Amino acid sequence: MDEKTIEALVGRAGLEKALAQFPDDVTAAANTAERVADRVRASSATAIKPSSEPWPPMVVVRPMVRA
Amino acid sequence: MSDLHWMTAVAAAKAIASRELSPVDLVKALLERIARLDPRLNAFIRVEAETALKEARAAEAEAAQGKLRGPLHGVPLGVKDIIDVTGLPTTCHSRVLADAAPATADAVCVTRLRAAGAIVMGKLSTHEFAIGGPSHDLPWPPARNPYNRDHHPGGSSSGSGVGLAAGFFPIALGTDTGGSVRNPASACAIVGLKPTYGLVSRRGVFPLSFTLDHVGPMTRTVADNAVMLGVLAAHDPLDPGSVPAPQSGYIKPLEQGVRGLRVGFVRHFHETDLPANPEVAAGLERVAQTFRSEGAEVIDVKLPPLEDFGAVNRAILQSEAWSIHADWLRERPGDYGRLARRRLMSGAFIGAGDYVLASRRRLQMIADVEAALREVDILLCASAMDPPCSIDDPEAIERTYMRQARTPFNVTGHPALAMAAGLSRDGLPVAVQFVGRYFDEATVLRVARAWERAGGTDTLHPSL
Repeated sequence: MDEKTIEALVGRAGLEKALAQFPDDVTAAANTAERVADRVRASSATAIKPSSEPWPPMVVVRPMVRA
Repeated sequence: MSDLHWMTAVAAAKAIASRELSPVDLVKALLERIARLDPRLNAFIRVEAETALKEARAAEAEAAQGKLRGPLHGVPLGVKDIIDVTGLPTTCHSRVLADAAPATADAVCVTRLRAAGAIVMGKLSTHEFAIGGPSHDLPWPPARNPYNRDHHPGGSSSGSGVGLAAGFFPIALGTDTGGSVRNPASACAIVGLKPTYGLVSRRGVFPLSFTLDHVGPMTRTVADNAVMLGVLAAHDPLDPGSVPAPQSGYIKPLEQGVRGLRVGFVRHFHETDLPANPEVAAGLERVAQTFRSEGAEVIDVKLPPLEDFGAVNRAILQSEAWSIHADWLRERPGDYGRLARRRLMSGAFIGAGDYVLASRRRLQMIADVEAALREVDILLCASAMDPPCSIDDPEAIERTYMRQARTPFNVTGHPALAMAAGLSRDGLPVAVQFVGRYFDEATVLRVARAWERAGGTDTLHPSL
């Protein structure tokens, strides 16, 4: 991920302090996320159809007991 | 009674019930062993010696009156320090929570084990927030492998695995989001079970990833694991992920063996997806051959590639973990160790669309594993692709730590158990994993017991 993109995403996430103190860690985290997302997209490219649902599903639950 | 530290939970409970063994003597013997050996192994973040002895005296008095709380009466228990124990801080092995206020209630899993008679010995080391890795920049040192303290013990439930293998307690609690019960089970030659998602309550456990987190029993023997699971498995209406599952007996089928079972061997995990160390591969073949010779049918089965499972696991885990840690990471990033900081911040860079895409791919992966488990009764596959590497070699850790086949079953929620397949030539554990149908932990434990009996894995102990 290029530096400008990282800076923009850091701003959106509010990680300016982390970027100032630990720039290598922020860059490593951003690059890991990019690799993971790329692999998810590649793995899904032929497998996912518009109707493919996520898991866990949205379900109707009974009102939960309150502690 | 000699070698109290290797006594199983089943044997200890039986001896305590018949008054052949005093729980006070048992706890004292283990506390002495912990004091002598743990300074070199770092399994504990805190030892609760006085409280444990007090509870042991109460257990002894109850046993004398014939009052047994349950199947773990007087049995010592270790608790991973992301799990709440009343009166103790839950530090998550992190500077972020080093000064946390004491928990005001036990986690549900601790409540259930205490109600069955277990005695809490203390809080155990973990990877920071159950994700960091074996780190040297935290307020407490990382746990070390009792088989060779220069090597890592797996994680994130590292103290649980170390304490069991070192003979500090016969039962422990761990948690598993990407393999964290089964990794230390693999590295320390103990038995670690990640139950079906929803079978064991997660309430009172610090979350890492809501849809991937599991609480699991960790023990030295399969029978102890079955007893512990029987205590832990219960619907909790206050845990949104908990389900009212049919309670099946885990003990009775244990000795039924594997004759007549169909075993699906997921070879591509360790042969082509992530080629395993030859000693790991040989261990898996040994298990498969043993099952064939005992009357099981072993056939090859195919699942999605490990890399796809891993990416889906990480996209979901990192996104959910970011939502938990975002405020702390914004305000006090320096209070995290380097490994946890990097891994937890990744979630800030994963878009909502990719998180949902991973969740949609996840359902297909569930369908793939379900299809395989319609053809066979159980899956046999690798857990770790390598024996545990040096704990002081960050490059080796980085290279080997993700070479594993545990995350698929966090993604799908199927029950999965890791245990020793044997020891390497260097005396380090190599492991095998068994995976079952949803809520069919009974068959997983039965198959594990068959291997334990044939392989003698319950007699493996490190020289300390």
